[in-house]
Amino acid sequence: MESNVDRQEVRQALSDAVRNEDARAVLRHAQELLQSRRPADTMFCASALRNMRVALVKQAVCRPLKTFVVRSVTVEPILPFLTVEAALAGYVLDIEIGGYGTYMDEMLTPQSSLDRSQAELVLVLLDLEEISGRLPDLCASGLGTDVEAEIADSIARVGQMLRTYRDRNAGRLVVQGCVVPDNTSLGPVGDGNLKHSLVNAVKELNRQMLAVCTTVSDCVFFDVDEIAARYGRANWRDARLFLASRLPISAGAFETYARGLVRTMSVLFRAPRKVLCTDLDNTLWGGVLGEDGPHGIVTGSAFPGNCYLEYQRYLKQLGARGILLALVSKNNEADVEEAFQFRAADLAVRLDTFVAKKIGWNEKSDALRDLAKDLSLGLDSFVFVDDSPTECEAIRQYLPEVAVVQAPADKPWELVPMLADKWFFDSAAITEDDVNRSKEYEAQVQRDTLRDTTTSRDEFLQSLGIICTFVSAVDAPLARSVQLLAKTNQFNLTTRRHSATQVEHYATAAGGQAVAVRVRDRFGDAGVVGLALVAQDGDQCVIDSFLLSCRVIGRGIETALLSLVAQRAAKMGGKWLIGEYVESKKNAPCADFYPQHGFERVAESGGAGSIFYRLDLTERMPISPAWLTIEGDPTYEFAADTIVTS
Amino acid sequence: MSSQQIPSSLRDIFADTLEISSDEVTPELSMESAETWDSFRHLQLILSIEDEYGVQFDPQKIPDLTTVAKVLQALEQKGATL
Repeated sequence: MESNVDRQEVRQALSDAVRNEDARAVLRHAQELLQSRRPADTMFCASALRNMRVALVKQAVCRPLKTFVVRSVTVEPILPFLTVEAALAGYVLDIEIGGYGTYMDEMLTPQSSLDRSQAELVLVLLDLEEISGRLPDLCASGLGTDVEAEIADSIARVGQMLRTYRDRNAGRLVVQGCVVPDNTSLGPVGDGNLKHSLVNAVKELNRQMLAVCTTVSDCVFFDVDEIAARYGRANWRDARLFLASRLPISAGAFETYARGLVRTMSVLFRAPRKVLCTDLDNTLWGGVLGEDGPHGIVTGSAFPGNCYLEYQRYLKQLGARGILLALVSKNNEADVEEAFQFRAADLAVRLDTFVAKKIGWNEKSDALRDLAKDLSLGLDSFVFVDDSPTECEAIRQYLPEVAVVQAPADKPWELVPMLADKWFFDSAAITEDDVNRSKEYEAQVQRDTLRDTTTSRDEFLQSLGIICTFVSAVDAPLARSVQLLAKTNQFNLTTRRHSATQVEHYATAAGGQAVAVRVRDRFGDAGVVGLALVAQDGDQCVIDSFLLSCRVIGRGIETALLSLVAQRAAKMGGKWLIGEYVESKKNAPCADFYPQHGFERVAESGGAGSIFYRLDLTERMPISPAWLTIEGDPTYEFAADTIVTS
Repeated sequence: MSSQQIPSSLRDIFADTLEISSDEVTPELSMESAETWDSFRHLQLILSIEDEYGVQFDPQKIPDLTTVAKVLQALEQKGATL
């Protein structure tokens, strides 16, 4: 957008879109207008988006979030930027702001304005002065014998504040760290060399704050210093306005700050994508295999081959944290195998680094659909990387839920930074189950082979040697339970995205159950893949949530889990086990789960899309399939041996 | 001074920040007369104006910039290209 005339046109288009209540068009034009990077345009967009908040939510473009800002500094001028960045990321924030001097009260006192707001998202934005105000003086000499004790005290206060809030409220927390100060009296050399310089002390403070955040459920650390460093610390704070108005950030950095904050809070509300599908020619390596041959393709330690090597290493790192890697290429399979063999020394990845391969001449959109089926994953967890504008456009058109990254064929060094800039793999917690996921998918392929060689279904399942281990959802670990609630779509009876606090609530409430199941077989360990949450209400035990990762559907594990839940319900005096099915776009595969297990539909039941079922536990008890071996954690109160005897 | 003398970039900032139409942005528009012009929007206005014209106001003078005319005058004093 070069000229003022263009800007006025985009503004007009944006206003028209607001008038027509076209949420997608509003976001599109806002994004376009914001490229001018003029503050007035941001104000204009923020105002338009505020007027559109109802439509944005109604048209399912944005998720509404009741937000409370706990602060000790001036944040008001940043709010329009926050509104805009949040909307572009899919959130409509309904923001309430706490007082400057009352943050402690808000966090610590029951029935504070923070409590009453019932915020779903709480942004804790404090300055170094409040978190550890004595540090600058204690660090003045760089020797500071009391520095460590002061940091420990500060961290204890922050931890206390977060835990006290958490004991009363379920709102998800974003806790901002401190920006490493510049203009210190020791100067940059002293700061860098003295162990207890203010710079090193604040770095340590941030490290410990992050550690505290991991001990609080649904809490993520906002590493604002990292963002300030990328932006340039020298320009991050405008001393004039900080001293005059307690504005912690210079006006030029508002957008960067708001984007960083939204990127961080996003991990609390959405699951990362799980699969990266990469093209080969001019993406994984330079050149075209079919034309240049295995020795002609560009990869290896010399430029420009090392650009591709960088990308391959990046992929391998993604793989190591549980992102599934797949090849989608229009090539002859034999040629590709040959290339990986001949050029093994010049490649950072091997053919078996990829859990799935679609090499052939079919349309890539078909290949992606097949992959989604093979891996039992939704296309909305896919990322597609390809250098061809045509292929990219085709995927955008046919499979809009896939995230598309067009590799810059003429600037291969830009691909890794481009990927790193995307949010889709962001995750604040990575569980062992994530890391082992690739192995599990490989095992899936082996299982499929075995199925082809055994005759009956039962015989096949028997031969798998499946072992189910039941554990408390709180010890699954808890992060894994929350992750399952957040991510599972297909076999998820109610699709309620509960937080860690809510899971703990089910686990501790009288008559409540929060059970997770871990599954392994002779080919591998699938990890914790199923979860049930139950609440008791008199003689009724109501199953609030019941889900199973799609990787293990069809092996009777759902029946075993239901059986355990039923046993426990009966033991606690429940007569009726109540199940609920809430229809979603994706959960048709489990629509008949309760009827299939002998539940009857409750006539008067059901709000929109919700059906209730019940089972009389005094008459009938679901029984775990014979081919499953059941184990339970002996410390877990209702060890699963009760099931085996049933 | 007629309203025509307010440059369109400045008019935009006032209109967008105060969420009013650009016709309402006259030299006489003031913190008192404009309902949406509160102290936070004031800070917002000043930040946007500083950014747009590459100037910095003295924080002690910022509270006095309470009308469009005063802002214009302050910008002229700073030698900003409007």
